[in-house]
Amino acid sequence: MALDVSSQPTLRSAPPPETGRRAPARMLLRQGGRLLGGVWLFALMVALWWLLTEHSTSPYFPPLHTILNELAKVWFFRAAQQDLVPSMEHLAIGFAVAGVIGIAGGALFWRVRVAREALTPLVYFLYVLPAPVLLPSFILLFGIGSFMKVAIIAFAALWPTLLNAIDGMRSVDPLKLETARTLGLSPNRTLWSIVLPAASPQIAAGLRNSLQVAILLMVVSEMVASTAGIGYFILNAQQSFESVDMWTGIIVLGVVGSILNLIFVIVERLVLRWYYGERALQQA
Amino acid sequence: MVLRRASAAAGVASTEPEGRRGPGEGPVLSVRDLGKDYLIGRGERRVAVQEVSFDVGRGEFVCVVGPSGAGKTTVLRCLSGLTPPSRGEVLLDGVPIARVADHVGVVFQDYSRSLFPWMSVAANIALPLRVRKVPREHQRKTVSAVLTQVGLDPDVGGRYPWQLSGGMQQRVAIARALAFEPELLFMDEPFASVDAQTRAELEDVVQEIHDRLSVTVFFVTHDIDEAVYLADRVIVLSRSPAVVRDIVNVPLPRPRNQLETKGGPEFNELRRRVFQLVAGGT
Amino acid sequence: MATLTRLRRRVPGEVHRPPDTPSRPHRRLGGLGVKVLGLVCAVLVWELLGVAGALPADSFPTLPETARAIGTELGGSAGWRSIGQTLAGWALGYGIGSACAIAVGIAIGLNRFAFRSSISVIEFMKTIPVVAILPIAVLEFGGTLKMEYTLVAFGVFWPLTIQVVYGVRSMDPVVRDTAKALGVRGARRFGLIVLPSAAPFIATGLRVAAAVALVLTIIAELIGGAAGLGRDILVAEDSGTSALPIVYALIVITGGVGIVLTTAMTQIERRALRWHERFRPLERELA
Repeated sequence: MALDVSSQPTLRSAPPPETGRRAPARMLLRQGGRLLGGVWLFALMVALWWLLTEHSTSPYFPPLHTILNELAKVWFFRAAQQDLVPSMEHLAIGFAVAGVIGIAGGALFWRVRVAREALTPLVYFLYVLPAPVLLPSFILLFGIGSFMKVAIIAFAALWPTLLNAIDGMRSVDPLKLETARTLGLSPNRTLWSIVLPAASPQIAAGLRNSLQVAILLMVVSEMVASTAGIGYFILNAQQSFESVDMWTGIIVLGVVGSILNLIFVIVERLVLRWYYGERALQQA
Repeated sequence: MVLRRASAAAGVASTEPEGRRGPGEGPVLSVRDLGKDYLIGRGERRVAVQEVSFDVGRGEFVCVVGPSGAGKTTVLRCLSGLTPPSRGEVLLDGVPIARVADHVGVVFQDYSRSLFPWMSVAANIALPLRVRKVPREHQRKTVSAVLTQVGLDPDVGGRYPWQLSGGMQQRVAIARALAFEPELLFMDEPFASVDAQTRAELEDVVQEIHDRLSVTVFFVTHDIDEAVYLADRVIVLSRSPAVVRDIVNVPLPRPRNQLETKGGPEFNELRRRVFQLVAGGT
Repeated sequence: MATLTRLRRRVPGEVHRPPDTPSRPHRRLGGLGVKVLGLVCAVLVWELLGVAGALPADSFPTLPETARAIGTELGGSAGWRSIGQTLAGWALGYGIGSACAIAVGIAIGLNRFAFRSSISVIEFMKTIPVVAILPIAVLEFGGTLKMEYTLVAFGVFWPLTIQVVYGVRSMDPVVRDTAKALGVRGARRFGLIVLPSAAPFIATGLRVAAAVALVLTIIAELIGGAAGLGRDILVAEDSGTSALPIVYALIVITGGVGIVLTTAMTQIERRALRWHERFRPLERELA
């Protein structure tokens, strides 16, 4: 039962050596060029979108400038407060719960062999089950309020972290475990000081997956049973044929998703500084 | 204390451990008829170590050499408590071992995998001290002292292991094993992954540690020169399934020197003898 | 040099073993038996709770009811038709999405300029929750199969493309240099060196994409109204409490589909990458 590690090798070349002196203009130019090289396609596509829909009369693809105008009007700040904030709250709590239980569960599975042997098939089944399928039964159980949303977000987001934690902890380099034995570490100490840090890159990959799932369920749960939230906003706009509003919601959702991901990556790079540092040196 | 001898040649080796041994203390490590088997693939049993017996005296420096794959590492693992033997027994201070004892240190060959990359050098070294509930201030001092002992600047403590060169990393690994003052230090081909120049430096580091701290050292290597240079006695293992082919006494005076000791006639004679034993077939 | 104090602490007789080593006196509690036991226990707990009335009867069907409902679903043609519809949407979306992703990914991976230009765009698109596109797709295509596989393909494409790009670019430098030294170039290099090096990445990406595709398929049915298991669940839930066992039956069936698909993908991956990591002689210690 191999798992998605989503190992994204650092494709950026190793960081340029610190010279301590002011970087020559040439290097700055090169950095600027690299930035431009990465961005031009993106800018081009946005420009294309703008131009292609300039005079559009299609109900499905209104002009981009109209959308952006509407976005400014609607989302700052009324809709943001009404819809975005509650969505984000549900997401935050659900994701946090899933992360904590996932990691703790992984530790439990590592420590207690019987738990691992007995529960793994069940965990696997629930991991493979597409979480939206449980939405109707969650609605029946918990109604359509905040609790239900947090519950299903947490439930769905749990499995990627849990399984990656289990797998990551199971595949810790045995030499590290032996070294821990020679240094006199107890099993609990080994778990805390060695196994968890060693597995943290894979746990991070699991958390990244969990974030995606959490965002997905946040939107889906609002689309199916809600009176507020960004998912509700988008679907409602679509069903009322307010396509401009719908598009603003889509753009906001896209931007929010990217920002959340960006935050995650930044935090991950910070916490796993040692890991990325080591890899950068290995590839240099 | 009957010890096994494969060679009948008189005066070749004394199997009695020389070196310091207090009255009534006995050898620090006693190995009796040690054997170890492995299962490979589909239930096939491979005998790595057939039968090995010897003693290691307190404060001795014992090296183990043998052909590739002879089972030297296996013997070390059984002696240190990492792996339970299939046959025979290992007595540490007269007591059968059940695990890696608290006063035993181990240095592995693959330092890059053994050092913990998420901890700084100082944190790595301090880990066994934390486990033993040493107060923070004392930890700091010990880390500094032991880094100096292995020839590193105490400032290195703030760096991460993977930022250091191979030789420096192995010094850190040695420092970590020394931090809690083990009486017995096991080293499994520690310098095999290091270049020749650094290897010479590290050999002297270990030598000095042994001489200064009176640590008993059990050192596995495939490098015969290294074995003779470092050891009080050299245990030669046969090819797998391994038995003790012979034990060669190395009465060279200490402290030893890379240039002078290795240049002398006694060294060459011993080296030749050990080489013959290793290369001489079963 | 500072004298180091004695830090010895002997704990006679206590055996510290890392949690993974089997304790020697009793035989390992392992293998298939415990796994089955675990599943059986979970199911039993469900049944017991239901009987004891701990679970609200209008939200949780009992075990026999659910079992019967599963039987009904799988017994009739309607159930299988739904499964077929779901699988069709899944297969089409997955197929189209992964084919495009592999083609585009390889193209981008091989060309440094293309890589540098497009990577930020693709990474950005990957972070957009695909479900945001659902309303657009519904507007365009309605609650149809086309909507379903469009959504799925879109969702599968971005992450898989990235995975393929990374795979193509992450060739072991030693392998690359060896190929150069042996004079292997062009199409042969691509087929014999680049593709096999990228294969593990691509395989992992495909396996994950299969799961993602299934989730999106269900979403397209649940919310978008396309025909299939997802829509059946919604319909059943709307029909009220009497249809509750059907809801759960469908959940189990969907889970089953998920297991079948994942297992199939894993098996295919294992078979195709047989040369890769699986050939290692196993040495196990005898206690």
